[in-house]
Amino acid sequence: MTRGNPFHTRTSTKTRKVSKWGDRTFLVLTGIGAAGVVGVLVAVGVVLYYGALPLINRDGLSFLTNRIWDPENNVYGILPFAAGTLITSAVALLISVPLSIGAALFLTQHAPQWLREPIAQVVQMLAAIPSVIFGFWGLIVIVPVMASTVNPALAHYLGWTGLFGGPTDIGTNILTASIVLAIMTVPTITALSKDSIMAVPRTQTEAAISLGATDWEVSRRAILPYARGGIVAGVVLGLGRALGETMAVTLVIGNSNGVPNSFIAPGQTIASLIANDFFESFYALERPALVYAALVLLVITLAVNVLARFLLARFQRGMGAKVE
Amino acid sequence: MKLKFDRYTRRKLFSRGMTVLTGATVVIVLLPLFSIIYETVVLGGGVLSVGFFTQNIPQPCSPHPGVVCQAGGIGPAIQGTFIIVALAALYSVPVGVGAAIFAVEYGGERALARVISMAADILSGVPSIVAGMFVYALIYYYEPAVVFSTFSGSLALGVIMLPIVMRTSEEALRTIPNSVREAALALGISRWKTSIRIVLIGALPGVLTGVMLAIARAAGEAAPMLLLNNGALHGFTGINYVSQNMALLIYTSAVAGYQNDVNLAWGAALILIVLVLGMSILSRIVLNRTARRWGQGT
Amino acid sequence: MSGTSESTNTNTSAGDQVVRRKGSSRTGAYIVVGVVVVVVIILLAGYFAAGWFKPSSTSTSNNGTCTAPTPATISGAGSTLVAPLMTAWALSYTASTVNYASVGSGAGISDITSKTVDFGASDAPLSPSQRAAIPSPGVLTIPESIGAAVPIYNLPSVATTLKFTGQVLAGIYMQAPGYTNWNNSALQAINPGVTLPNANIVVVHRSDGSGTTFAFSSFLALSNATWASVYGHATTINWPTSEIGSKGNSGVTGTVKSTQYAIGYVDINYALTESVAFGAVKNPAGNYIVANITNIASAVKDASATFPASSGDWYNFTVENSPGAQDYPISTFTYLFVYSDLGVAYGSSMPLTTAENLVNLLLWMVGDNSGQGQTFAAGLYYVPLSPAAATFDTSAIESITYNGAAITHCVQS
Repeated sequence: MTRGNPFHTRTSTKTRKVSKWGDRTFLVLTGIGAAGVVGVLVAVGVVLYYGALPLINRDGLSFLTNRIWDPENNVYGILPFAAGTLITSAVALLISVPLSIGAALFLTQHAPQWLREPIAQVVQMLAAIPSVIFGFWGLIVIVPVMASTVNPALAHYLGWTGLFGGPTDIGTNILTASIVLAIMTVPTITALSKDSIMAVPRTQTEAAISLGATDWEVSRRAILPYARGGIVAGVVLGLGRALGETMAVTLVIGNSNGVPNSFIAPGQTIASLIANDFFESFYALERPALVYAALVLLVITLAVNVLARFLLARFQRGMGAKVE
Repeated sequence: MKLKFDRYTRRKLFSRGMTVLTGATVVIVLLPLFSIIYETVVLGGGVLSVGFFTQNIPQPCSPHPGVVCQAGGIGPAIQGTFIIVALAALYSVPVGVGAAIFAVEYGGERALARVISMAADILSGVPSIVAGMFVYALIYYYEPAVVFSTFSGSLALGVIMLPIVMRTSEEALRTIPNSVREAALALGISRWKTSIRIVLIGALPGVLTGVMLAIARAAGEAAPMLLLNNGALHGFTGINYVSQNMALLIYTSAVAGYQNDVNLAWGAALILIVLVLGMSILSRIVLNRTARRWGQGT
Repeated sequence: MSGTSESTNTNTSAGDQVVRRKGSSRTGAYIVVGVVVVVVIILLAGYFAAGWFKPSSTSTSNNGTCTAPTPATISGAGSTLVAPLMTAWALSYTASTVNYASVGSGAGISDITSKTVDFGASDAPLSPSQRAAIPSPGVLTIPESIGAAVPIYNLPSVATTLKFTGQVLAGIYMQAPGYTNWNNSALQAINPGVTLPNANIVVVHRSDGSGTTFAFSSFLALSNATWASVYGHATTINWPTSEIGSKGNSGVTGTVKSTQYAIGYVDINYALTESVAFGAVKNPAGNYIVANITNIASAVKDASATFPASSGDWYNFTVENSPGAQDYPISTFTYLFVYSDLGVAYGSSMPLTTAENLVNLLLWMVGDNSGQGQTFAAGLYYVPLSPAAATFDTSAIESITYNGAAITHCVQS
């Protein structure tokens, strides 16, 4: 099995000369496919870079730290939106990670064998639902609840932190977007947590039980530390998804271009900025500014995704098992 | 018998509590899914009719006394979605499957295959709005007149579908044992014939699964449509013009908020969810059969 | 896609054994292939049945004395204020396939500048810098319809129609001290006897480039010197950050409708269609006017006498604060922008047939005698163009050339 692809050993059959052209053509055709995949990736980076060049030349990296986005006065800064992106993703993970790990633990440790896969599949259905439907549902179901119940409650009980100021009537805000994002990242984190937990050797569990640990102690002390690598990889992968999420966020975040000062105030992420402001960019540098924002978003999400895959590969090597 | 509340009992109770808690997290996690499905089925199901599938969108209107709103339909949106996704599949499936074959058959275990796989993985992390921006910038440079068109939209969807098709096909091809390739070679079958008629056909369920999952994903993408395929009010008239789209219809209706548009959007959401979940379930059935057939995990 | 697949932990090398089970070989693949084939069939059907979804119509090949050109697809984009009217037109007009993206006046202007659409729609005329940015041969400004910006609000406890002045609205939108609460003294003074709630005003504006913003901010600039110097009038304003931005007229309407204590500005047709309360605004004659078709029409009745040339600069043209006693002060025209020579502007991407389709469409929308479009206006809460304005439009449209030559007209009846 590990001998490698047999095509790479030298063989000499009489049919080789006849099929040489067929093989050559096939090699070229599939090679074009492979080059296409790599080429598209490179093209995305290059095209976006050239699209953003007018602004890159003018502002350089100060675009990343500028707090003002004012197309009319030709001032562009992505900081409020980067903050919005990071805050919504962080809060989303804060909500979804405990839920996902809890769900994964339940499925692997406590659910009966016959129930595990069906429920896992059902959780995966969440991943299949298009994000615009999440946004639509969020707008119609979650937003009114936030405006009528959740916002006032948070302002009342947690207002002392200074993080829940401002009017409580507005249902489209950062917190709502975070909640919708949390729901969307759950399937990814649950799936990877579940697979990571299942990759932990049975010997660990048995050893812990034999020492008298309760179920929870087995999970906490024997399993989770070992599955940690894979779980972290899952969380980072979920983060990568949340950072780039557009449609669901745009519909529920309130679209306000300032630096957010309250969780229940409207905000804006980089992705929703692009979706909202894309059309009217007739100020000379506004469109390059949006392309620059897209480039920044691309770099951030790619870096996070690469990190996730690296962590996952490292975990797999440690466990000696393939965890997808 | 005395009820002891010693340390051991405390630990056991705590453990039981955590078990209940983790069970509760499963319920919490599933609640949104059930809510979405419930709302979609109830609200979307309420608009289903023959007219829903055949008529065009209605004049935007919210009912109040003396005003009767047309119900309208999403016929052109269904047509437009099919066409644009089929176009995107036309570009992305040959390229993706070709790349997968190249990586597995010619790249094998070497670094070349890993590079291509990594490129596909990285590409799959590109947010869909960035893919839309990329196509916008690209087409605008060459031919501004077709920037807003079904063609551009299909390019963006192709970029999104490509890594899904490629990675799933690659994994499917890798499940074919090398012994099969060796046997074919020993029988004198040429390399390319082996790749196509034996390996690819053998991995076909997996490859087609990848295609289905990619199609399901592309059908639901609204962000590239917002940028590139916005504003159609009629049926499909050509790939250099915009066309209607179910995912975009949901977004536009959510933003605009006219009641008859919102009703249609729920209907479109129902169709999309049925399509997407159906493809997901179908692909899992196919994968399960393949796994059993080859006797190993996928 | 989640990217996870079944994970069965088999690391055995059982792969060397290929066992084909009878009967279970290819069913999965056949199902999947079947689905793909069905999809392809539907694709082909969709392509060939492109005419399925056209509205049913009588023959359009001969409009009496002239022969209409082969139908083409026309695309426009811009103002959300005029979008409901545009949609009604597009769904009813059968001589061409008309698409319209309701993306905001700012986008309409940038799209026509970059020639990605055949016509642009905007409630704001072109500013000098925008005009300068338009490539030769330049665009014509064609008045299309008339709307009005009204102040909408969400105050369930207030049953009567609130009165506003430009000064008060400017104060609210500047979030000036003394104007941040609904029961502020200025608002109370002009609304004696009304119990205003003690609550912060939730201010909503447009997040996208908007002609409605242009109209509203122009009025605020006319009413308040501080606004004029600090914020000015444009399609996008540097609003105070404590305010909420919503996309499109529909977005603002939706936000105000669902947020208590909110205030916003939208076109009157959105306020009426969505049944949102809107206030009266004081005009220069001193009367508080609640906008309706009559008083908006009254505000613009003499406007056509002061129209600039269609190819000229409209930036200083305004119908706001007109002198009539019953005129609504925040009335606004909406405009169409179209290149004056379609062949020179678009080259091969607009063949003569398409140019003819476009001209016929424009004449149908806003022309006199042959224009049917304006009959839709009143029913959708727009003010129809006056006959003088329609005549102005007709001569402007008829001046559009194709590579220097006049374009044949044959308008659908």
